[in-house]
Amino acid sequence: MSIPNAMRAYLICLLISVLPAWAHAAIVQLQVRPDIQASAEYLPGQRNKPAVLLLHGINQTRDFPTVAALARGLRDAGYPVLAPTLSLGIPNRTQSLACEAVHRYSLDDDIAELAHWVGWLKSQGHRSIVLVGHSFGSLQLLVYLDGHPDPAVKGFIGASLVETQIGNASRPALEAKLENLIKHHQRTLITQQMSYCKKYLSTPEAILSYVRWGQSRTLQALNRAPVSVQLIMGDADGMLGRTWIATLKNSKTPMVIVHNANHFMDGEHEFDLLDHTLKFLEHAQPAPVR
Amino acid sequence: MKSTASFTINQIALAFMISMLIIVSLIGTFSIRQTSRVTQDLTRHSQEAAQSELSAAFNRLLHQTESQANALAQWDETRQQLVLPEFYTYWRDHRVYESSMQISQSAHAGLYNQAGTLLAPSPAIHNFPATLPSWAEQNQRSNWIANQAGIIYLFHAFPVESGEPQHALLGHGLIRFDLLAELLRQESFHFTDVGSIKVDLKPGEKLATQDLISHMQFKARPDPDQRQFQSILSNTLLALFIILATTSLLAFVVYNRLLQRPLKWLSDDIEAMQNGCFRQQSLHSQSLRVIELEKIRRSLYDYQLQLNKLHGSLESQNREFHSQARQDALTGCHNRRAYEEDWESFRSEIKSAPQGSAFLLFDCDRFKTINDTYGHAKGDRVLTLTADALKMALRANDRLYRLGGDEFGTFMSHTSPAQAKQIAHRCQNLVDAIGFGDLGILEPISISIGIAFCDADEIAHVDDLPKQADIAMYTAKQPGRSRVALYGEDTKRDSPTLVASRETSALFQALVAPGMIEMHYQPIHALPGRQVAYFEALARIRHNNELLLPEQYLPVVSSRRLEVEFDQAVLHQVGMDLSSGLYPEGLGVSINLSAQSIAHPDVMSHLMELSSHLQSHPLILEITETSLITQMLEVRNHLDVLRSVHFKIAMDDFGTGYSPLQYLVDLPVDVVKLDISLIQTLAQDNRAGQIVAHFARMMSEVGYSLVAEGVETEAVLHKVENLGITHVQGFLLGRPTPLAQLSALLPAPPLAISAG
Repeated sequence: MSIPNAMRAYLICLLISVLPAWAHAAIVQLQVRPDIQASAEYLPGQRNKPAVLLLHGINQTRDFPTVAALARGLRDAGYPVLAPTLSLGIPNRTQSLACEAVHRYSLDDDIAELAHWVGWLKSQGHRSIVLVGHSFGSLQLLVYLDGHPDPAVKGFIGASLVETQIGNASRPALEAKLENLIKHHQRTLITQQMSYCKKYLSTPEAILSYVRWGQSRTLQALNRAPVSVQLIMGDADGMLGRTWIATLKNSKTPMVIVHNANHFMDGEHEFDLLDHTLKFLEHAQPAPVR
Repeated sequence: MKSTASFTINQIALAFMISMLIIVSLIGTFSIRQTSRVTQDLTRHSQEAAQSELSAAFNRLLHQTESQANALAQWDETRQQLVLPEFYTYWRDHRVYESSMQISQSAHAGLYNQAGTLLAPSPAIHNFPATLPSWAEQNQRSNWIANQAGIIYLFHAFPVESGEPQHALLGHGLIRFDLLAELLRQESFHFTDVGSIKVDLKPGEKLATQDLISHMQFKARPDPDQRQFQSILSNTLLALFIILATTSLLAFVVYNRLLQRPLKWLSDDIEAMQNGCFRQQSLHSQSLRVIELEKIRRSLYDYQLQLNKLHGSLESQNREFHSQARQDALTGCHNRRAYEEDWESFRSEIKSAPQGSAFLLFDCDRFKTINDTYGHAKGDRVLTLTADALKMALRANDRLYRLGGDEFGTFMSHTSPAQAKQIAHRCQNLVDAIGFGDLGILEPISISIGIAFCDADEIAHVDDLPKQADIAMYTAKQPGRSRVALYGEDTKRDSPTLVASRETSALFQALVAPGMIEMHYQPIHALPGRQVAYFEALARIRHNNELLLPEQYLPVVSSRRLEVEFDQAVLHQVGMDLSSGLYPEGLGVSINLSAQSIAHPDVMSHLMELSSHLQSHPLILEITETSLITQMLEVRNHLDVLRSVHFKIAMDDFGTGYSPLQYLVDLPVDVVKLDISLIQTLAQDNRAGQIVAHFARMMSEVGYSLVAEGVETEAVLHKVENLGITHVQGFLLGRPTPLAQLSALLPAPPLAISAG
């Protein structure tokens, strides 16, 4: 899907010709699906610095504190930041979505939306884009990167990267069950533990799209990543599997461990997260100046 | 002095009690009315409070519903359903309630697309309209109330937009819930009776929310404070009433014991004292608790003691006065008052125990003459001696009463006519035996006694005894009587005239209406020519077309002592006749007058008026000789005056009565009319006739003009002529004739009589 064709967005904020340009934030809306618009906050930065696509965690919005704080920090550092809120099938979604809500989207839908936003950044002239995700947003960006290699995307930072957690259930068995439901065209809502949601309510197809991304597939995607990768993990992250950080270490994936940081890296660890992100961005390939 | 109504102390107490009851009742009624008004005000306030409360609750509910609707409209999942309605029913049945939208279980929410069509049919119990009402679509936000199957639901429709910045309309939401259930669930009503809340809306009808209050039916919850207030007020009023009633009752009892009863005792004692009944015991038997009343009681007691002493003294004096009042001071016998009291007792006694009873009436003969002649002192002495004699003659238990002047009386029980007569004669004998000569009284003094007797079987006539005794007395006093007469036995001739009401009535009528007296004139002829010399006026009383003759009415005149009045009436009528022109001109008229009338000044006045006729009619006054002339000096003086104006005086009925010769000596008499008894004696050829003849000649010789009365035969007329009597009168020559017929008796002009 080409960005100009897909994008029917319109830019509300003027970013150009005003100094300092990053001082002006703007809400960007995109028609990501028929009848569904999605929005993102765009924080213009220095044109010579790579633009950052910053994505929130599962069911959250760009206003989630970890993300919002990181966005402000990056903007203050002069990086253009685009922080979208995934629509999750809801027009102009502005609220976090409850686990028990009807989740009418799949991982593919999320990836498609991310593609829209990457395209939008490119349409704004950003030739160097770094994808930064938090928690499940890191997985979603990783999946996008895995399926949509783009020369403009220069790097990937996964903060508190987590696979699709399904509890104690057997992933193959679950996948088989879901596939069977899909096979029999049983279009109904089912509940499934997913990530921190004990009862995630969605259709089998949608659940299956996420369930397929377990630790191994995630590691594979990391290993296949076409860009430089940086993981920022907290050693006090209780949301993660007990062996996940160790697994990541073993996979030789570049990773920074923030001591005592939890999954959200809140409090003083916000600065650790920002510092490590900025450090990665400094070493990232600078954006070519047009 | 204006009299005012009086009340007893009991009536005043009763009036006070009634007044208190009325006042208490009025206060109670006023309080009840005020309580009722307060209750009504409180009820009205409660009703208003309930309405305000209900209205506020409804507004809060409406506001809450709008807030819920806003939350729903801005909820991402709501927008999600309008875009992807595949699992709308899950959202409708679960998510709406699981979320933080605070939609209650009794409320339901539904979503409509932009065209106003429900996203999915609602369950039957939800009963959402398949399409939104047009006004809901147009007005963006709207509320209404509808009755669905008897349940009142509130509907709130609201738009759902896409959000900023476009605000594109995605569809509509609708919230519906049981209005009353939700109100009761969410609100705590303090003033409204939740069980009474209803909405007056028929099934299927709809209503705008602003019209809800006017369609609500509810009752105010009874205010516990109001109930407590009413209870306290009612109890207070009841207690007040009981206290007042009890106080009034106690006050009445205290009032009764301390004031009313003692006052009643005092009043009774005073009344007893007024009635002369003294009750010493009651006044000092016990002291009174009220100081003022006790003072009054003591004063009354002291006053009563003094009164008792005074009463005893007065009783003694009264007995003495009573005795004196019933005793005649002069004679010592009982007086008129004692007579009247004793007579009443006697009558009652006789009627209750019939027995022979007699009434004796005593009268001293010629006592007035004696009194006038010998003075009052001797007259009193005569009465005293007479009374002593009578008391001595009566039986031991008979009482003698002085009835007046010289009149005494007594009544006897257990007697008979013979015994009464015997006692009467004994009285007469004892009086006759009194030596009045010792007093210098030469004339014999006697008493006449009238007796009336009533037998036991005629006791009903006992009341007539005094009158009958009076009649008997009249009979007894008649000349020739024995001076003792028993009614019935001795009064058969006299009593009819005395008691006849016809003659009495006629006489009294004639005295007040002189026209009833009619004069008849009997001619008196001169001798020897026998021509009419003059007429004697003889009075008749015309009564009921009947003429009453002198022998019919004169006894009444005499018994009633009406001589003066009757003679005045006769003089008046004679004057009228003389003035009438019917009386023959030039003829004289003789008029009979009693000696009492001559002495009376009014009669003298009449005679002086009559003297105006003397020029044409010689007037002769005939003085009846049979009556005792008691006022000799006055009579003589008056006769002298009359003679000076040319009246002639005639001595009538000469030969009967008292001391005729003495009268001829003492009085200026011109004419002597010889009584018929003397004239009839002339007809006898015996010594009596000779005496009369000689007497007549002698009278004629000394110059008296003689008139012979009662000449009824020619023989008597011849004897009269021979005796030298100048005039005769009798039926032989002429009878009494009415005035109108007099002229017929006069063939020739009359001749004047000569006085000498």
